[in-house]
Amino acid sequence: MSPRLAHPRHPHPRRPHPRRPHPRGRSRLTALAAAALAAVLVTGCSSAVDELSAAADEPQQGGTLRIGTTSDIVPANTFTNSSETGDVLVGAVYDTLVDYPLDSVEPAPNLATDWEFNDDGTELTLQLRDDVTFHSGRPFTSKDVEFSIKTWADPLWTVQLQRTAAAVTGFDTSDEHAITLSFEHPVSNIFDLLDMVPIIDSESIDQLRAGTAWIGTGPFTFDSWQPGSTLSLEANEDYWGGAPLLDGVDVSIIPDPQAQVAQLRAGQLDLVTGASGRDIESLGNDERFDVTEWVGAETQVYVGANVQNEALSDVRLRQAIAFALDRDRIVEDVYRGAGVPSSLPWPEYSPAYDAEAAATYDYDLEQAKALVEEVTEETGQVPTLPLTYPAEQTDFGAIAQIVQADLGEIGIKVQLDPVEQAESIKRLIGGEFEGLWLLYHSYAQYNPSTLTVSAYPFNADKNTSGYLDAQYQKDAEAAWKQKPGEVSDEQYDALNQDLLDGAFLLEIAILHPQTVTSTNVGGLDQSKRNELRLTETYLAE
Amino acid sequence: MSATFEPVAGVDEPISPVPEGPPPGDAPTTRRPGFLHSLRKGRGLVGVILVGTVVALGLLAPLLAPYGPNEQIEGANLLGPSSSHWLGTDEVNRDVLSRTLFGIRADLVVVFAAVPIGAALGVLSGLVTSWWTTTDVIAQRFFDLLLAFPTLILAILLTAFFGPGLFTIGIVIVAVEIPVFGRLVRTSVRTIREMPFVEASQVVGAGSWWVLRRHILPNSLEPLTVQLAVSMSVAVFIEGAMSFLGLGVRPPDPSLGSLIKDGVRLMYNAPFFAVGPLTLVVALVLGLLLISQSLAEARRV
Repeated sequence: MSPRLAHPRHPHPRRPHPRRPHPRGRSRLTALAAAALAAVLVTGCSSAVDELSAAADEPQQGGTLRIGTTSDIVPANTFTNSSETGDVLVGAVYDTLVDYPLDSVEPAPNLATDWEFNDDGTELTLQLRDDVTFHSGRPFTSKDVEFSIKTWADPLWTVQLQRTAAAVTGFDTSDEHAITLSFEHPVSNIFDLLDMVPIIDSESIDQLRAGTAWIGTGPFTFDSWQPGSTLSLEANEDYWGGAPLLDGVDVSIIPDPQAQVAQLRAGQLDLVTGASGRDIESLGNDERFDVTEWVGAETQVYVGANVQNEALSDVRLRQAIAFALDRDRIVEDVYRGAGVPSSLPWPEYSPAYDAEAAATYDYDLEQAKALVEEVTEETGQVPTLPLTYPAEQTDFGAIAQIVQADLGEIGIKVQLDPVEQAESIKRLIGGEFEGLWLLYHSYAQYNPSTLTVSAYPFNADKNTSGYLDAQYQKDAEAAWKQKPGEVSDEQYDALNQDLLDGAFLLEIAILHPQTVTSTNVGGLDQSKRNELRLTETYLAE
Repeated sequence: MSATFEPVAGVDEPISPVPEGPPPGDAPTTRRPGFLHSLRKGRGLVGVILVGTVVALGLLAPLLAPYGPNEQIEGANLLGPSSSHWLGTDEVNRDVLSRTLFGIRADLVVVFAAVPIGAALGVLSGLVTSWWTTTDVIAQRFFDLLLAFPTLILAILLTAFFGPGLFTIGIVIVAVEIPVFGRLVRTSVRTIREMPFVEASQVVGAGSWWVLRRHILPNSLEPLTVQLAVSMSVAVFIEGAMSFLGLGVRPPDPSLGSLIKDGVRLMYNAPFFAVGPLTLVVALVLGLLLISQSLAEARRV
């Protein structure tokens, strides 16, 4: 199992015991009796608390974990990482070939036990476990690896690593328990793909697309899904890695984060995924809840710009917007400090991380104003720009209003355009935002090429912004077509410069995902894919 | 026994012009004194004071508010009430008092513009269509259709077409009020048209439009005034509910409903937040209801 970097932010503070009044004017006997009773009560309370803590530290069998999520599954988008419920489902029902620990991009064995490249990095042979079966009872073989990668390469599924999956051009499945993948060129992020591609059951793919069954090899089996309401999973007692401690998982889809938090407070949920930064801070101060911050599974909040928009086609205006974003304020006021302001997406451990480059667009109103003046002198007044964001997530509402005020300072009028989460994902995939938009992205925790070659907002060949630049495409290709771990610092520097010069995607901050649980939940873990690992999760009584 | 008198073709006015003033027959002579006088005492007065105060606060917002409604004040993140910020600040560093005062204006627009427009359209359609059987049936079925939708469902439906915003709130309120006023005026028309003074004016050759204008409409106004006050209070609810659901006024502009929504969201961090907007909504709704009750009582005297 991967080492767990996550740490509870608030270690169960105990309430101080109230000071007892001095027993004045009473008989000594009464005072002694009261003191004895108080001592018993205090001891009893302490013991109860200690026992509870001890219980929470001891793995226990049984129980159903109740999770609250804000967004539902869209079956056709099962593998797009665009829904919290979908992430729980994929993380629990499916396995991947390799598994990254949270703190690195060094693959660890999972369904693949061993692997080897040929000399030029164009072939990768993986040894597969021979004791794995799908939930349907069918044995897992190399054919399933081929099917899964080909499914991801199929544009029908609009997965973000489609281009990386399509780079796998050959599959040698002559051995049921080994597979050789061939590539036209070395692929620097091939293990990212193998960490992300869930092994899909070919026999039930139509049911998956219809939303009637999700069959994998993972620790939980799909039980039922009521669209817009609930998802139920049951423990897979025959799981190759050992049966999970929980009996099952019930996911309640609650689009309103406040309602989710209210249900957690009322004891109707054990874990919520959609709480706002402010609510997380408040829950963290409540001894009934634990807040866990997952370092290594970062997400980034950003402002995207559609460069096909007439005003935004001028890079100077986009750079002015980048300079005008008060990143520190957003991190402090909205995320309550749970993030790092940055002009680039890479977390500190990423091979592309460059502290100096990440500060390129630090808040500088004078610079921003100068750029806007330059643009307006040449092209006239900047028209009002729409800023689209998902309305359900209150953090976005606050950020949107801060961005609106920031841009107002430099003379750019912004009209806020809150839309539903599903609509914003549709526009992200289809590149249909009119002007600016506000969303999260991920994948910078992986090899940088995963972002620049495969992610919707960054893909050098086709991205949401409609930004196509020959130099960016060339540099993205160069960094991608290397053996894993052999991309040079110069190549990453060139990519960083392209991202900064192009300014089509304006990073605000790198955020550490946070999960809020009631204190009776133990053994929770999270993958680098931002999916909950529930195999060792348990509920204390 | 009654005889039917056909109006003379091409002549709208009666052949023997009915003099202005009290109509012939049993028509009421003058409006009861005390109908509007009822607002000068008791609960009517309380209502007027409450509504008047809220309206004055809204109208004087630019003078009274210490900050702009969308002004983000450096370092003032979710502060509690203090001498600098009487109602505290929000999570985007804005003064809640200033936003509340400006937020009243959104409610004033829906109360004093959308409701009268809806009422006027409803009265007009009810008045005209209920005079003739065919148009009456068509109009009533249309009103049935509008009334079949619960207000919030209608609001969601119309928001899907027009998008969220104050304009959509106005459309929803107009759509809600048309059948209410249409039905109300229809009832009045069907009662008043049978009264002797109307019959008398027809006997002397008055045309339909003349009768509607001179007899029916003036005698239907009293119940409509009461309904107007009730509808205005309902409009405050509708604005609040729509903004609470995110269908109303678009951020960053404030309205009382959207401020209450923010207050509920921040209930654990800033319990003071919603106090101001809630007080104003209560004052506005209560004031309008007191006015309507007072007017209704005066009618019964």
